[in-house]
Amino acid sequence: MRGRKATAAKRRPARPLIVLCVPSETSFLGLVRDLTKRMAEQAGFEDGVAERLALAVDEATTNVIEHAYGGEHGRTVEIRFDVRGDELRIEVVDTGRMVDPRRMPDVDLGRYVTERRTGGLGVHLMEKIMDSVTFRRSARRNVCCMVKRRTALSANAS
Amino acid sequence: MNELQVETRHVGDVAVLYPKGYINAHTARAFESEIRSALRQERFKLVVNAVGLQYIASAGLGAMMGAIEEIREHGGDLRLCGLSESVLHIFEILGFHHLYRIFPSEAEAVASFRADGREDS
Repeated sequence: MRGRKATAAKRRPARPLIVLCVPSETSFLGLVRDLTKRMAEQAGFEDGVAERLALAVDEATTNVIEHAYGGEHGRTVEIRFDVRGDELRIEVVDTGRMVDPRRMPDVDLGRYVTERRTGGLGVHLMEKIMDSVTFRRSARRNVCCMVKRRTALSANAS
Repeated sequence: MNELQVETRHVGDVAVLYPKGYINAHTARAFESEIRSALRQERFKLVVNAVGLQYIASAGLGAMMGAIEEIREHGGDLRLCGLSESVLHIFEILGFHHLYRIFPSEAEAVASFRADGREDS
């Protein structure tokens, strides 16, 4: 019995360390930011990097609220935090419509001024801050997975 | 919790905005409305003194971008000062330091408009 239990436990997918569920309202962005920063600090990231990680998660959550849920209140945004060795992995999950961030316009500073375009800025910022940002659709959910590794370099740089 | 407060003070013909707290998708409208209020008063020389600004997300940068063309069309500009290392880093990541003039202090930012006037005359 013990052996079977151990095997079952072994097969169970790893659970995230912390899961935060917030309503799809921008008034909760402060909570998202504060928890992300605390998690990043606890994972050993220096203060400035922790703040930028919080910004990346703020941007990902804002994208979900504004685009996947189209500003609709009463939906849920799930944010999963996991620390694996030197790696902080954060997933932002929603059940809204599929938004392909790769269709976002490329960042073009000149066009920002002349056309007042700011689309794609959030995703661009996320990609600059994190080591990797990936998007996938899984079981009717959108999952934005962001990873930052705590190396001697990344603990202090962007 | 009030995440952002924005005050405006006039130094000659320059409107100096003091955002205090966090600018994100939730608070960007308050920041934008303070910029718009200056423009309605036909004040097109703006300085954002960011000394109390903890954090700015893309929504806040969008608020500035949304006004900059109108400001410059009227011969004005939006300049910044007092950026923390962290906020400055965000500007640099996005290349926004090429779009906006950034000064260490408010006095230098305000004086830069006077210098413009002298160059024009």
